[in-house]
Amino acid sequence: MATAGKVIKCKAAVAWEPNKPLVIEEIEVAPPQKNEIRIKVAASGMCHSDLYYLFEAKNSAGFPIVLGHEGAGVVESVGPGVTEFKPGDKVIPLGAYRCGECRLCKNPETNMCEKCWSNIESAQMSSSDTRFSCRGKPVLQFVGTSTFSEYTVLNQIAVTKIHPDARLDRVCLFACSFCTGYGAAVNTAKVQPGSVCAVFGMGAVGLAAVMGCKSAGASRIIAVDINEEKFEKAKIFGATDFVNPKAHQKPISEVLIEMTNGGVDYSLECVGDVTVMRSALESVVKGWGVAVIVGWNNVEDVSTRPVQLIAGRTLKGSMFGGYIGKESIPKLVLDHMAGRLNLDEFVTHTVKMDKINDVVELMKKGKCIRAIINISK
Amino acid sequence: MATAGKVIKCKAAVAWEPNKPLVMEEIEVAPPQKNEIRIKVIATGVCHSDLYHLFEGKHKEGFPAVLGHEGAGVVESVGPGVTEFKPGDKVIPLFVSQCKECRFCKSPKTNLCEQSWSSDRYAQMSDTDTRFSCRGQPILQFMGTSTFSEYTVMNQIAVAKIHNDARLDRVCLLGCGISTGYGAAINTAKVEPGSVCAVFGMGAVGLAGVMGCKRAGASRIIAVDINEEKFEKAKIFGATDFVNPKAHQKPISEVLIEMTNGGVDYSLECVGNVAVMRSALESCVKGWGVSVLVGWTHLHDFSAKPIQLIAGKTWKGSLFGGFKGKDSVPDLVLDYMAGRIKLDEFVTHTMNLEKINDAIELMKNGGCIRTIINVSK
Repeated sequence: MATAGKVIKCKAAVAWEPNKPLVIEEIEVAPPQKNEIRIKVAASGMCHSDLYYLFEAKNSAGFPIVLGHEGAGVVESVGPGVTEFKPGDKVIPLGAYRCGECRLCKNPETNMCEKCWSNIESAQMSSSDTRFSCRGKPVLQFVGTSTFSEYTVLNQIAVTKIHPDARLDRVCLFACSFCTGYGAAVNTAKVQPGSVCAVFGMGAVGLAAVMGCKSAGASRIIAVDINEEKFEKAKIFGATDFVNPKAHQKPISEVLIEMTNGGVDYSLECVGDVTVMRSALESVVKGWGVAVIVGWNNVEDVSTRPVQLIAGRTLKGSMFGGYIGKESIPKLVLDHMAGRLNLDEFVTHTVKMDKINDVVELMKKGKCIRAIINISK
Repeated sequence: MATAGKVIKCKAAVAWEPNKPLVMEEIEVAPPQKNEIRIKVIATGVCHSDLYHLFEGKHKEGFPAVLGHEGAGVVESVGPGVTEFKPGDKVIPLFVSQCKECRFCKSPKTNLCEQSWSSDRYAQMSDTDTRFSCRGQPILQFMGTSTFSEYTVMNQIAVAKIHNDARLDRVCLLGCGISTGYGAAINTAKVEPGSVCAVFGMGAVGLAGVMGCKRAGASRIIAVDINEEKFEKAKIFGATDFVNPKAHQKPISEVLIEMTNGGVDYSLECVGNVAVMRSALESCVKGWGVSVLVGWTHLHDFSAKPIQLIAGKTWKGSLFGGFKGKDSVPDLVLDYMAGRIKLDEFVTHTMNLEKINDAIELMKNGGCIRTIINVSK
């Protein structure tokens, strides 16, 4: 490509400081270094974790930054040493990747990686090394991906190659929400056939979790949300019961315990709120109930009384649904192409990047599930 | 027996109110009703949970009570409908019943029982119904057992029949502390061969946890205690490393993470302190680490950052080591008789019931592991 080896000037939505609208800027994207790939981003979803960083994380040092981690695109050029990818390949950037060398990567039971985790868990949720600059200032790459930019650069270990006929403005959802929710149910909770499940939060992640519970054969899937408009879509994904905590005097855990003869077998917290996490744990049946924290929160503690666990409840958490991106995403893309996984129901809006702040507002008000942002032509 | 069908007047150590010494009294023990057994208590241990109720929990509705829940004795008489036991049988009272009919008893995943007082009276730590009275006043049976009394009465679903040659002043320890710690490692954590374990708290429960980790084939067992005098005994039970948190500037979890290349595979909290519970979780390796709450407290919440769980750690809890008492305690007695588990090494003191307050003081000062109280001749 004509741009190979050169800095690319392109459009990106830059978050200059917390709590402010994103600004469409011209940024400079450096060429890929050794083992890196530069990607032309075709489409991206906006995920609540992007908003968490902008509005809740309370970290002023990790700015300016380009958000977005649920994208899909095409390889523009590759750096020295890259043999796995070539220009034109369709790819999905991974916020959660594996270095292959650390103690965690050597264990197939987990999808965690020390190197990847240390960036995600850091206050700036990114590496200090970036390929972006704007008006002379370095701009951070959110969880290494930054899909609210026409171009981005990642190490090849954090990119997965997908089928050339994949529909990029749908499969981008495998980069986060779909895998995070669906995997939390099937890989982390390991929902068993016939069981009773509760999913807290009917955003994209929660709906994907409902889909996962259904796929795993749950007999009842209780959708919990304070916004009853969300229930219609929850039903489409397979929810059988619908509870609005605000419609009850009693705590939600008591409501669910009464509905289910003692509590649910599995609960999934897909909100990222520590009070909801407590409720999700306290809603599972003693003896064998499992609660899974899926929503991200690194600001507050989750708390409960020791008796909850001593009585036999288990508390777990899930990162990217327990999936190893490079292994699983290509297969999920094939499932989508074959019609085995429907992603269309997640998509409520489609916009161009210059309308990105409208999407932020829609998300804040709970008025969309997924808005697909068309990033590049 | 001459006493069958009649009220027995006998000695017991009564806790009239919280925070006060126990008082040796003559109490009346009613005969066993339908499905009940009256037991002559031969020996009992003093367990920290007895002290917890007296000095920390202090629940108003839990007094006056006869404490003690780690006992062994001989059947004096049985009530109508009892076919499983006869006078003269050696037995161990169980503070978690096993009715074998409820959905928890029918599940292999848990040792809870719906018939147990612990289902909803875990704050008061006793049932409301009692067979004891003293000077006309009903006296509660602590944890349903009350082994600081020469006689007690229990439903047969909460009594295990053990081998006739069992040494009662040792196997009484299987009524709580040793089963609790040993089972937490074997049944709840499910420690695997070659793994690295940390056990917090080198009281009897923690030492039994160490014994369980060793039995399960752990390659390293790190004993953690702020009292270094406890380490000698920890070594006897199989601990390989010894850490005093007070000897370090850094938090204990950081110390353990450094010692173990990222964290332990399993940690057991055998103290009952919410700050230690947090440390125990944070000391586990990401990806697959499992932390088990074993020590009891109901006064405060315990907490952690959600990302601890999202990073792949699991938090569980254990009650009576996950053992179904009627099924397992007889086997544990046989294990002791065959030398497969140690009990003698837990015993540091022996006293008569009249000296019970001395035993309590010893325990408060960390000056004993287990004092065996000889209750009856």
